[in-house]
Amino acid sequence: MPEFSTEPFFEIARRLEVRGETGWLAVLSPATDSTAALDELQTELQSVLQKLTRVIQLEASTFEKLRDTLHQPDDDAVILSGGAGLTPEKWRTLDIMRSALERKGPVILWLAPDDIANLANLAPNIRSLIGGSIFVAGPDGGIMTETERQYRLKQLSEHFGLTGEEVVRKAEARELPHDPEFVEWLVLLDRGDLV
Amino acid sequence: MTLERARQRAVTLDSQIDRQLAEHRLDSPANVFSEIRAYLLRRADEMTTRNDPYQLLKFRREQGFEVIVLGPQFDKGPTPQHFHFDSGARLSFGLTLREAERGSQVVSFRYHYAFPDERSPQYLRFDLNDGPHTDPLAEPRCHLHPGIEDVRIPFSVHNPIEILDRIFFVLERAT
Repeated sequence: MPEFSTEPFFEIARRLEVRGETGWLAVLSPATDSTAALDELQTELQSVLQKLTRVIQLEASTFEKLRDTLHQPDDDAVILSGGAGLTPEKWRTLDIMRSALERKGPVILWLAPDDIANLANLAPNIRSLIGGSIFVAGPDGGIMTETERQYRLKQLSEHFGLTGEEVVRKAEARELPHDPEFVEWLVLLDRGDLV
Repeated sequence: MTLERARQRAVTLDSQIDRQLAEHRLDSPANVFSEIRAYLLRRADEMTTRNDPYQLLKFRREQGFEVIVLGPQFDKGPTPQHFHFDSGARLSFGLTLREAERGSQVVSFRYHYAFPDERSPQYLRFDLNDGPHTDPLAEPRCHLHPGIEDVRIPFSVHNPIEILDRIFFVLERAT
């Protein structure tokens, strides 16, 4: 498999935005937890593009149904989810449909890593439509690291002159003030149950 | 027109805030995080001062709660972790959401907008506490600090994006 750029979904959405929100690109899903990843991609596209983003399962779509779905409406964002079960026949049908698939809004082809060979071999027209815009789903960022969590806990402890244990005890005794900093403190201690 | 009546009115106001919060639904925590990041990125694109919301904005999910933070919890001067405005002002914030049916609910927040040096007031801070204070007249559950720690003015905006709207399109433009 050729080397493709690994990008977080947020960056992929930004690329579409810069491009004017049209055109095709392909995203290779992670090997594990691809359903959750697909949800994340949909969320990021909606947030960045400020457009409704639909997921369409290719496996379950007939030619007519897919064409109609893509054009009603034709200006939102669509993720075409390939899935590992896409047969060679389905790939070829998709390729023949290329002009019928053209639309105003962007199309994102969501593929399993192994499907890239099928895209090249069985759907050369779609492959050329996508061009170099093939990305590997990368970590989406934003997750607080353990170092960052510990730093924030230390800042809270120093500011209020309390240890984490004391904060938990006060929360259990319902003696903790309601300030937002204490809420963050409890959640960072994994004691959201005391909020 | 006694102090006692003023306190009763403050209790009533806090009760209204409680009801509004209970009815107010946001998208899922993941969607809210994504929406805030996209919002900040769009604002950053419009500015001269460089900010990288992708690096600045962080979240942690635990047991049905999500903390979304940008910058330090306590503003003790500018840091690279703040969001910096062209005016010289800076922003830090933290917000906690609780997963709920069909989305999430706001539990608490703190948005600290520090004006440029030498400006008065030095800052405005929008706070939502996770419960009522024993004296809601002195500390309404949802309040604004007008640059004075011990002064808290009630307000009632609960959507994270709407607060950012006020900061970017009202405060920053007046700074």
